[in-house]
Amino acid sequence: MVKFLKYIRGYLRIRVWGFSPERFMNLCSNKGILLWDIVREGESYYMYISLKGFWELRPIAKKTGTRVAVLNRYGLPFSLPGLMKRKVFVLGLFLAVAFWILSSFYIWDIEITGNYQITEDVFQDFLEQNQVSIGMKRQDLDIEELEKQIRRSFPQVTWASARLDGTKLLIDIKENDAPIIIQEPDTTPGSDLVAEYDGVIVAMIVRSGVPKVAIGDSVEQGAVLVEGRIPVYNEDTTVREYQYVDADADILLEHSAEFTARLPFDHIEKEYVGREKKSWYLKVGDQIWKLPQESPFLVYDSVIRESRPQVLDKLSIPVFWGEVTYREYQNVEYLYTLEEAKNLLNQKLMVFLADLEEKGVQIIEKNVKIEKDDTSWVLKGEFLVREPVRMSSETVRDDTEETDENE
Amino acid sequence: MSKKELNKESRKELTKEALIESLKFPKDVCMGALKVSMTGNREAWIENYRGILEYTDSLILLQGKTCQVCFEGTGLSVDYYTNEDMKISGCICAVRYL
Repeated sequence: MVKFLKYIRGYLRIRVWGFSPERFMNLCSNKGILLWDIVREGESYYMYISLKGFWELRPIAKKTGTRVAVLNRYGLPFSLPGLMKRKVFVLGLFLAVAFWILSSFYIWDIEITGNYQITEDVFQDFLEQNQVSIGMKRQDLDIEELEKQIRRSFPQVTWASARLDGTKLLIDIKENDAPIIIQEPDTTPGSDLVAEYDGVIVAMIVRSGVPKVAIGDSVEQGAVLVEGRIPVYNEDTTVREYQYVDADADILLEHSAEFTARLPFDHIEKEYVGREKKSWYLKVGDQIWKLPQESPFLVYDSVIRESRPQVLDKLSIPVFWGEVTYREYQNVEYLYTLEEAKNLLNQKLMVFLADLEEKGVQIIEKNVKIEKDDTSWVLKGEFLVREPVRMSSETVRDDTEETDENE
Repeated sequence: MSKKELNKESRKELTKEALIESLKFPKDVCMGALKVSMTGNREAWIENYRGILEYTDSLILLQGKTCQVCFEGTGLSVDYYTNEDMKISGCICAVRYL
């Protein structure tokens, strides 16, 4: 830093000789002139002196009877006039500084952290609605209002903070970890739990509603298992009125399920020929400048690798350069072997089973076989499963009885 | 200076030193004493001096307020020299107070 400051102000290397160089140095230090790297060689002293100090040397040299000779000049005051002669360089420097200053008035990147439930897309839409976008002026951004707006628009956000870091807008939010309690309405039209498949009830715990079936009963698809209409009886066991609730129960329904997957015998695979061509492009925002490139091959795919200059990454200006590699390939027809077909079909089956497991379905029996038909391999699976009942439908209101009561 | 005067002078000095000692003032500031800090025998920083009396590559003689100090050695040079402090580097063999 000190070196840099010395360079900016300019300094000289001088030779001092004569009657009393020591007194010369003492007077310099008394006048506050900095001398450094003082070396004596023979009768002469060599030292560095600041440019400002040099202008004050004349009376000192006169008083002490010494002579001063300038050996070298260093620093900006000496190199600047030479640089100023290079007009294009000066213009470039000026433009670069101007561009730098100008671009620092805008927001060039928005970074959101701490969002788990709210996806980036949703947040970006929200920002767009609030006129916060990349390329906007920093001046136009009201950070406090934006924070308030975030908390207002997303109820799960418990804390929001936005700040500007250079040309980057950093938004940090905290979401509520606890589940959001949705206020359920006090009055409900009532709902029943209904069987999704034909099957047998194997377990049943009812929390609310009136059970219509028992463990071991066979039920048909669509049959009401737990009704959301609870009768309230009079003393003489006649129904006075009905209360409607949302039926809630843990019911396991045992039923059979099927799974079929097909795989055609032949398939087409890409076989790369090995010929490749490359092309480059420059992207600024949404604008892309490509090198003119005709269709490189008859059949090809392309791999794009995009990167950003390191400096612009810090400055957050959306400038990218990319490389496109075109790879020629041929479509080759292949026949699956039994082993390959088995593997692929098994993968499909695994996905199906994982899907079932996610729904909380237990598999009791499993019978899977792979067959061949005219055009493809076929995997057929028959399962006996126990599945929790989740389907509900609105309770049928029986107003006639109520009106009867009223009469 | 007569013997009596010299005695008076040294007594005055002693009283001053005792006063500064009891008030816990820094001695280099109050008494104008030279302050020399050295790193091994290669570097020395000096404060509270009046000026350079003699400077060769084997001897640097400095004037303090109350005494002179002489650095002897080989290849001695002054790295920087200001009104406040200075730095001497080189191979220092002896520091003598005159």
